[in-house]
Formats: sequence, C-alpha cells, structure tokens
Amino acid sequence: MSKDSNQSVGGIDSKAAEPARFATRKFKMARGGSLVIGRLTEHGRANYQFRADENASYYVKLLTSRGAKTLWGKDLERALNSGETRPKVGDLIGARRAGREAVTVTARRRAADGRIVSEEAHHAHRTRWIVENVKFFAERARLARRLRDEQADVRETVRAHPELKSSFLSVRAAQEFAARRIADPKDRERFLALMREAMAASIHRGEPLPAVRLRDPSRTEEVSTIKPRPPRPDDPTR
Amino acid sequence: MSATLPLPKSHEILADPETSEWLKWALKSAAERDPIKALNDALLLAATLEGRLRSELDLS
Repeated sequence: MSKDSNQSVGGIDSKAAEPARFATRKFKMARGGSLVIGRLTEHGRANYQFRADENASYYVKLLTSRGAKTLWGKDLERALNSGETRPKVGDLIGARRAGREAVTVTARRRAADGRIVSEEAHHAHRTRWIVENVKFFAERARLARRLRDEQADVRETVRAHPELKSSFLSVRAAQEFAARRIADPKDRERFLALMREAMAASIHRGEPLPAVRLRDPSRTEEVSTIKPRPPRPDDPTR
Repeated sequence: MSATLPLPKSHEILADPETSEWLKWALKSAAERDPIKALNDALLLAATLEGRLRSELDLS
C-alpha cells in the first residue's frame, strides 16, 4: 500500500484498502482536478476529519471502484445543493475540484465566558467544487467536443445545443478581434485555437456555461429619457 | 444537514425489485466462491467498469 493511502491528501481521505495490483497507482484527484466517480453514500456538515478540535467543514462519502472515499471541503455543500443536477444519496456522481477562491477568515479568541476578546482577519483560499450526476459530465464532454470541432456547422450545432450559443458567440468575437488586431496569420490561428481550447476545456470540466447577455431595453430607454441639464454660465466651451 | 445511505445486505439487494438481474446473478454466484477471491475480483471488475465508463463517456 502506498505511504499516503490512508491519509488525507488534498481533501481526500482514503479509508479502504486497495487491491494489491492498484497499490502503486496514485489517485489522480489528489494532485489535480481529475474527476472522482462514485456512488454518493453520505454527506453532511462535520468538523474536518470528524475531529472535535478541527474547524467546521463538509464531507461527501463516496463508494468508488477503489473503495470508500471521503472528500472534505466547505464548498461541497454549495456544490451539492446548487449544482445543475443536485445529486441525491444513491446516485452515481462525479466530483471535481474546479479551482480556488480567495476568502477572508475571521479568527476570534473568546474568554472563558464566551465573550470575544480579539478578532483577526486572515486571507485564505477555499477550494471550489463541482459535484453533479455522472451523466452531467458526459453531456459536458459531448458539448466540449462540439465546440472543438472547427468543421461543425455552427447554426446546426446551436439549434441542437442552444446552451452553446454564448460560447460560439465568444468564438466569433475572438475571430473578429483576431482579424482586426493580429496581423500574422499564424499567430491569429494560434490565438483562436488556444481560445477555443480554453473554452472547450472549461465546458468539459463542468464549469458554468457562459450565459447570453441581452441588452436590457428598459435601461436603454432610461438613458434616453435623461434630460440634459440647462447650461451654466461657467461651463467650458468646446 | 446530512444524508446517509446505509449499505444494503446481500438478501436485501436480492429482494429489491429495482435490482438488476445481472447484479442478482453476480451476487448469487459470488456467494458460492471464496470471499477473499470474490471481493478481489469484484474490485477489479469495478475498476475495469469505471475505466470503460470514463473511456466511453470521455470523462477525465
């Protein structure tokens, strides 16, 4: 068994013994944002690692093909309850670390009677999670393939997958930008390929799809109804 | 807030109408084997099936 297989690594706690033939394989998720797949068996609020002296956290227990795994992270609660598929216990799910966001943690020291005697703000990072039913990730992989396919008929693809409209609009905006600002055709191609790949990878990871932003006609009206103020004698002249 | 799914016993799985015929057959045949060998094979099977799922659905 590997040295760290029973320790918490990157928020993952592996409790089950692995079969000998998998012992040397490190679980990819421990190092990066790989997708952990398993049956959701339990989740809830608890102190980190179920230790009384640790901070409040959230756990998700999964039955994976390599045994039971426990994921830890405060953001797991939001990811489970606010995701697109909102998985239930018993579902086959995927969980992925999507990145980190800066948070301010306030450390409070209390007196014996519970009174706060000092407060100190610390800057920390919180891991952001994506937790969805496995089918969601399969669908995202399909959408990412569509976006990567440069030969695809955009109109047809958007008709079949309207959720990709904003992504294709972004690709078109990037093409227009490149045509105006990047003189070298090779650099232009490289820029567009990088941009398309970055968008496809984000979709593949399961991150939220960009929403199509429509102009709000009421705001336009609002602007147009603002009356110009009357000229003052000390106004600068043009 | 928390939610738990207790691991069902073998007889509960066999009695559950939602259980697939494939799993019922696998459970019954595994019960006749050496438990260590059966679990070792089951873990290998699960890992292989996960590999197939990842490959066919392009999950990484």
